[in-house]
Amino acid sequence: MTAWARDSLDKVEASREERLHQGAPELDEINANKLLRKFHPDYQGMERTVRIGPDASRRKFPNELADLLETDSRLPPDFEPSVDIETDVLILGGGGAGASAALALEGVGLTVYLATKLRLGDSNTVMAEGGIQASLRPDDSPRRHFADAYVGGHGNNNPDLLRILCDNASETIRWLGQLGCIMDRNDDGTFRLRAGGGTSVPRVLACRDYTGLEIMRVLKDAVLLSKTQVLPEHAAVELLDDGKDVTGAVLWDRNRGRLITVSARAVLLATGGSGQLRLQGFPTSNHLGATGDGLVLAYRQGCGLVHPESYQYHPSGTVYPEALVGQLVTESIRSAGAQVLNAEGERFIGEMTFRDVLAAAIISEVAEKRGVLTPTHRTGVWLDTPLIDIKSGAGALHRQFPGLVHRFKRYKIDPAKQPILIYPTLHYQNGGIRIDRDGRTDTKGLWAAGEVTGGLHGTNRLMGNSLLDITVFGRRAALSIRKELPSRKAVTLSRLKKFREELKAISSRREIMSPQLFPTVANMKINFSMNNNQ
Amino acid sequence: MKTVEIKIAGKPVRARVGETVIHALWSAGQAESIKTGCVGGVCGACTITVRFPDDRLGGTDLACLCPVEEGMEVFPCSVDAVTPVIPQLDPTPEKLRTAYPTLDRCTKCGSCTTACPMTIPVMDSVLRMRSGQLETVAEDFITCIHCGLCRFVCEDRVQPHNMGMWVRRSIGASQKPIGEQTGSINWEQVEREWVYLTEGNSEQRLDHARRFRERGRIEK
Repeated sequence: MTAWARDSLDKVEASREERLHQGAPELDEINANKLLRKFHPDYQGMERTVRIGPDASRRKFPNELADLLETDSRLPPDFEPSVDIETDVLILGGGGAGASAALALEGVGLTVYLATKLRLGDSNTVMAEGGIQASLRPDDSPRRHFADAYVGGHGNNNPDLLRILCDNASETIRWLGQLGCIMDRNDDGTFRLRAGGGTSVPRVLACRDYTGLEIMRVLKDAVLLSKTQVLPEHAAVELLDDGKDVTGAVLWDRNRGRLITVSARAVLLATGGSGQLRLQGFPTSNHLGATGDGLVLAYRQGCGLVHPESYQYHPSGTVYPEALVGQLVTESIRSAGAQVLNAEGERFIGEMTFRDVLAAAIISEVAEKRGVLTPTHRTGVWLDTPLIDIKSGAGALHRQFPGLVHRFKRYKIDPAKQPILIYPTLHYQNGGIRIDRDGRTDTKGLWAAGEVTGGLHGTNRLMGNSLLDITVFGRRAALSIRKELPSRKAVTLSRLKKFREELKAISSRREIMSPQLFPTVANMKINFSMNNNQ
Repeated sequence: MKTVEIKIAGKPVRARVGETVIHALWSAGQAESIKTGCVGGVCGACTITVRFPDDRLGGTDLACLCPVEEGMEVFPCSVDAVTPVIPQLDPTPEKLRTAYPTLDRCTKCGSCTTACPMTIPVMDSVLRMRSGQLETVAEDFITCIHCGLCRFVCEDRVQPHNMGMWVRRSIGASQKPIGEQTGSINWEQVEREWVYLTEGNSEQRLDHARRFRERGRIEK
């Protein structure tokens, strides 16, 4: 890059020698909380209650999500469900949670359909870089894992769910290994464990900075070899019920424009997160489909949400070059030694603190005019990546972070030689649909797993706990479905009809419909063909 | 804002300097013309071919990572997944050959390597598969996003990325699971620790969690 940043880069280089052996600036919990309240986007009051549904007047939602919960369905008013596909289980979502569930439903004689808005594997899972947590060291335990995640989540985690997550971690790593996932190992053959923000001991397993890709491509390969019937480019636009329980879904076949009615004895929502709602104008690290569809669908079926106000802004989103804005720079790069610096080349916070605190600190630094302004009018702070080779020897960054190197290479930026600019990017939906220990939602017939659910991570998730979440709870929901598969019931739109009645009584934003399906910025066309059911 | 004109499948599109082909399509209301997934270079959905107006070599790319340039022509080139072959424990070149009989049809033309948007040395790796250097093959394909371009351009129907996955999964599944807790576990202590961490109200739990994470045990 970066003649425009020369002055600031000179300062970064000048302070590097001294910073190498300097401790991180201290921040106690009281001041960390002050920082969060003043600068973290969750605390800026950009939220409101909604007037209809199970959480009416009870809790606050980000404005963008509240609008989607209070608006009409995309289904044409005259649409009547008439069954096109009959299945035992319908999985909605083709990311890590959906794929894990499909594999856990294999071999027990059930018909399983997996419908996904994009293609199998196009998901936030595949984009996860840093790793997956499992307590494998002698000085570690599932309890210590629990304690770290509970403190990181501000004590808002559901302890039952969190205990299940931590207790099942090593078994899950073994399962992934049996499927053929290859995680980085030390020379002695043990797994290489990295620290993550807020882990009290190194606990994060990784496959370079492509951990999610490794897990997703293996899961996808296994699903393609299973009996699961995959329906790619089939987006869920509404859930069906018999007036009481969830009994199926209406899918939109994107290529033919048709609406398809599926009757299912059990439906598993694994539709993922909502970063593409781009709350408060933030860029996002999420994939094209992350528009919170599952939240809307479940809410209309009477399912309550937990901590829907809480989002994770990943501290290190790319700010420059413009083409990479919002894209993730893995947290492991900080655990490998890269420091976060302001325009003066000074550290202002410990890089391995919790994600929400670090994000707030970066926003604060920029607000106080100590950030760096790019030629495209964005602001950020430095991530001093050259420190990695200085600390671990030449070539270390290229070996450990091939993904980062690959993305920047095109712009003639070598992160081993020059720092990169970062700013928080909308990364993860901390809250979501309420589930019990077996992934059951508030409504019978409907299970949920993965990012679409809430409670597990409290109001701030630790690195490496989302890949674990989808593999543990995706499979767990599947086992619960196997154990208590409901009988087949009628498919009607009773709940939607009631919702539409309630909606008439309030004024809502009539120009939008939900689920949103695609990001607003993508200007995609959503047309249902008129002659359905053909 | 400076703009350039590019062509997508023959249709002119105005784009802002610095943005990618995908973002240009979004602004132009033509998002549907190229299949899109992660918008981050790892899902392999948005495969394209690119031609430049000058004498530079064009070729394959990912639309989400490809910055626009004046006069550039883009053609969608989407590749469907194919059903893979079940991996096997303790893989050998013979087992791989049985799984993928087209392995030996490679004519060393190098198209696959040229087509790979992740700069994987695909052809060299196919040759390594033939000679049995499977550990190196697993390493070669560590950045593979399974976009399918190497398979798409192969005239001899070799399926490099599927074979790469077969090798990786076969090796991965054959590795010894390491890092399990060994020795006897004191279950009474484990239960005491769980009670300590999960009892009481959220404030008490938080306090206990803070203390516990310091040393990984109940502090007196």
